[in-house]
Amino acid sequence: MLILKAVSLKPLHGYGVLQRIRQISGNALEIPQGSLYPALYRLEHQGLIAPEWGQSENNRRAKYYTLTSAGRRRLREEAAGWNRLASAIAAALRTTSKEV
Amino acid sequence: MLARLHALLRALTSRRDFEAGLTEELRFHIEQHTEDLVRSGISPEEARRRARMEFGGINTVKEDCREARGLMVFDELERECRYAARQLWRNPGFTGTVILTLALAIGANSAIFSLVNALLLNELPYTHPERIGTLYARTSGPQSSDTRRTIDGEQWERVRDDVPSLLSAVSAMRTSGVNVRAGSVVQYLHAGRVSAQYFDVLVLHPVMGRNFSEDEDRPQGPRTAILSYALWETAFGGNPNVLGQTVLLKSEPHTIIGVLPEGATTPLNADVYTALQPGREGEGQAANFVAIMRLRDAATWQQADAELNRALSGTVRARRVASTNPGARLTYYSVPLQIAATDTLRPQALALMLAAGFILLIACANIAGLTLVRMLRRTDEITIRLALGASRWQIHRQLWIEHLLLAFVGGTAGIGVGFLALRGLLLLLPEHFLPVASVSLDSRVLGFTLSLSLLTSVLSGMWPALITKRVDLRSGRGVIGGGSIRLRQALIAGEVALTVVLLAATGLLIRTLIGLQTIPPGFNPTGVITAKASLDDVRYHDPAAFRDLLTESLTAMREIPGVQSAAVGLTLPYERALLDAVTLSDGKEAGQQITTNEVYVTPRYFDTLQVPVLAGRTFTDADGPDTQHVVVVNQTFARKFFHQENVVGRYLNKNMLIVGVVADTVLSSEARLNAGTAPLTSEETIYLPAAQMVNVRFLTLVHGFFQPSWIVRAASSKGVPARMQRALTSADPQLPISGFYYVKDLMAATLATQRIAVAVLAAMSSLALLLSAVGIFALVANIVAQRTREIGIRMALGSTIRQTMIQVGRSGVGASALGLLLGLILCAGALPAMRSVLYGVGVYDAPTMLVVVLTLCAVTLLATTPILRVARIDPARTLREE
Repeated sequence: MLILKAVSLKPLHGYGVLQRIRQISGNALEIPQGSLYPALYRLEHQGLIAPEWGQSENNRRAKYYTLTSAGRRRLREEAAGWNRLASAIAAALRTTSKEV
Repeated sequence: MLARLHALLRALTSRRDFEAGLTEELRFHIEQHTEDLVRSGISPEEARRRARMEFGGINTVKEDCREARGLMVFDELERECRYAARQLWRNPGFTGTVILTLALAIGANSAIFSLVNALLLNELPYTHPERIGTLYARTSGPQSSDTRRTIDGEQWERVRDDVPSLLSAVSAMRTSGVNVRAGSVVQYLHAGRVSAQYFDVLVLHPVMGRNFSEDEDRPQGPRTAILSYALWETAFGGNPNVLGQTVLLKSEPHTIIGVLPEGATTPLNADVYTALQPGREGEGQAANFVAIMRLRDAATWQQADAELNRALSGTVRARRVASTNPGARLTYYSVPLQIAATDTLRPQALALMLAAGFILLIACANIAGLTLVRMLRRTDEITIRLALGASRWQIHRQLWIEHLLLAFVGGTAGIGVGFLALRGLLLLLPEHFLPVASVSLDSRVLGFTLSLSLLTSVLSGMWPALITKRVDLRSGRGVIGGGSIRLRQALIAGEVALTVVLLAATGLLIRTLIGLQTIPPGFNPTGVITAKASLDDVRYHDPAAFRDLLTESLTAMREIPGVQSAAVGLTLPYERALLDAVTLSDGKEAGQQITTNEVYVTPRYFDTLQVPVLAGRTFTDADGPDTQHVVVVNQTFARKFFHQENVVGRYLNKNMLIVGVVADTVLSSEARLNAGTAPLTSEETIYLPAAQMVNVRFLTLVHGFFQPSWIVRAASSKGVPARMQRALTSADPQLPISGFYYVKDLMAATLATQRIAVAVLAAMSSLALLLSAVGIFALVANIVAQRTREIGIRMALGSTIRQTMIQVGRSGVGASALGLLLGLILCAGALPAMRSVLYGVGVYDAPTMLVVVLTLCAVTLLATTPILRVARIDPARTLREE
């Protein structure tokens, strides 16, 4: 979900994805570098992201990933699911003994 | 889902791009990281090290990425296929033998199956062929029979009028060669005579015009013709206004009333059709018509059979059968055309299929045996792979993949072999031998071949695969094949037994063929050239015109340089002859009517063929239409009906004087005058002078059945056929010749069926012999490989090489001997079934059997040569390895 979110903002290459996740999560989340690529390939295989070769900032050939429409849908669903879960947990944590 | 499939497809097709891309992407990542680290103040060396470390093992990541794409299965399969191919490539001897075995066995099967498919499985090319039938009759009693029947004019009227369940039609028994003149072109073509409704029975509607009407089918009805599509295109250029035009058939004008659809076939397969006009007179007096019937809607075959039987039981012919065979019961019934058309060929086709199936089994057993030997040699490899952590399933999968690969290559080669074999077989068959238009490798044959290949791979791979289960990792040495030697010996004995039967059958057929080919023909065929021309022509119904044609054409032919003599005969030796009834007017059986072969000939016929004259004289030019009617008989006739008394001077048919006796010449027994005779035989024959053929109806009838032959004896054949054609044309410009032959080639044509049987069976038995030899070879090789240690120890203990060789070779020779014994027993049971196709040789023919036994011994000895490897076994090394 995080990868999808990262890619949804702007087409990114693998290294960019790592940095973006670190950035948007405020350095709180860090994905092990080795497991990023298999994850990317899995998403590509599922048709959620589409690869495209392009020029990097420093003029190198790099593979950029963009979100496909299927990916966008999935991101929405997962985000909604996550929010539901998060608010449910938050609500659960807010309850005090009085309310029981 | 679609996107996923697309990704998979793309991934499969761009495998190499993927690997390069993956490498580049990961390298880019690490370099980017390194740069970032350098920027944050770390030394380049250190940065590179850290980047790599943080990333983890590149190869593990790559592997994970590949897996993520869902291609693991394909990757592995490809790797295993490659490995299998490499393994097979490294053993060219094994691979070659297996592929060759498979190709031959599968090829033989697919060729034979194509025939079976075309003959028995493919539907006849008519609408609802299952509703088309033909007439059979069964006689019970002392002389029982059950065969397809032809009918006479009276029977036809009954079938047509008294069997309401069937729509019936009749045709002539075979097409006749006729001269067709359309415009200025004269062609020699096959004409078929069919009754009204013949095409309705087959549900063939002309693309133009109509079918024959009842009126046109009546005797002396208007003469009309229906063209085949091919003839319409070639002779009339596809002219759309062809209906109503006239075509000259047998020099008689026929009005074209229809054109059949393109590719339409009939049981007669003629180029042009005319109305049969069947009646009770002439040809209608004898059973000269072939019936085909279509079951009408809502009727059943039971109903039809009952009606047929009722309609036909009162006919003259049925009553005559009843009176000549007291106690016999004659039952008429219908049989589907599909079965009737292939009736005579079905047993042969099925027997061949059976033989081919056995060959396939032999091949499977052999391949299993060979694989076993190979597995034994690979025990070390398998043990190492198991030790390195390969699962048994992986090892098995590897074996199966190797077998499937072999089956695939073998099967493909088999289709090629089958195609060639089929082409060869069809080339051997005489024209119009098969009742089907074409035999092809269609999708059913290909499917059959494919499933056969799979079956062989399963059958031959199963066993070795089961046996690897017993490989024991700890002992380091396999126990492959230990207890199975006896089973393999039994299999080989079975193979050999079958081979013996096939060899013996082939041997007997070869003896028969040699016997038939060396029958003294009774004349000198060398240097005789013959040309046939159809006199089924209205102009030659006049006996005088017929005589003039013979005289003029023969005079012209005698003038050809190099021609020693020329003559005409209705039929020639090696051919089937006309059967006719004559009455004996003299001798012990005077007054009796007998059936004999009959040939009309011109005076120099016996000189030209050099048939020895045994008594009296032959014909001269003085034997004319108005002089004493004379006849020459052959030796068999004289012996059979006059019991070797002096026959010259006696009479036949009251007024025909026998003037001479000539030697017997061989005839084709296709007409089956005497049941159970060889395809070439000397039968009773009478010769009549062509000049005394004064009966118009007789002349018309026989020329409808036979095309007479012009024969010349020439010192050299160079240019003679062309000059013969010219001589005939000078006598009648509208008489095309239907073919030139050397008389000695006629024998080959008559014996075609026998030659094919010999060729096919010889090919099959050689194949079986070869496969059996391979089987014995593999068995002995297997034993040598397996017992290397044991043999080494034996020899170390003082056994000589010779003793050891005998010891090892015994298993192969033993299996072969057992097989030979079994085979001979099988022969005793099976060969008597061949009695009907053997002539001049007994079923238990000692020389044939001796040759079979000797051949088998020689092949067995050759196949046990792997025992020579025993000599190379070094006892010292074996003991060291221990």
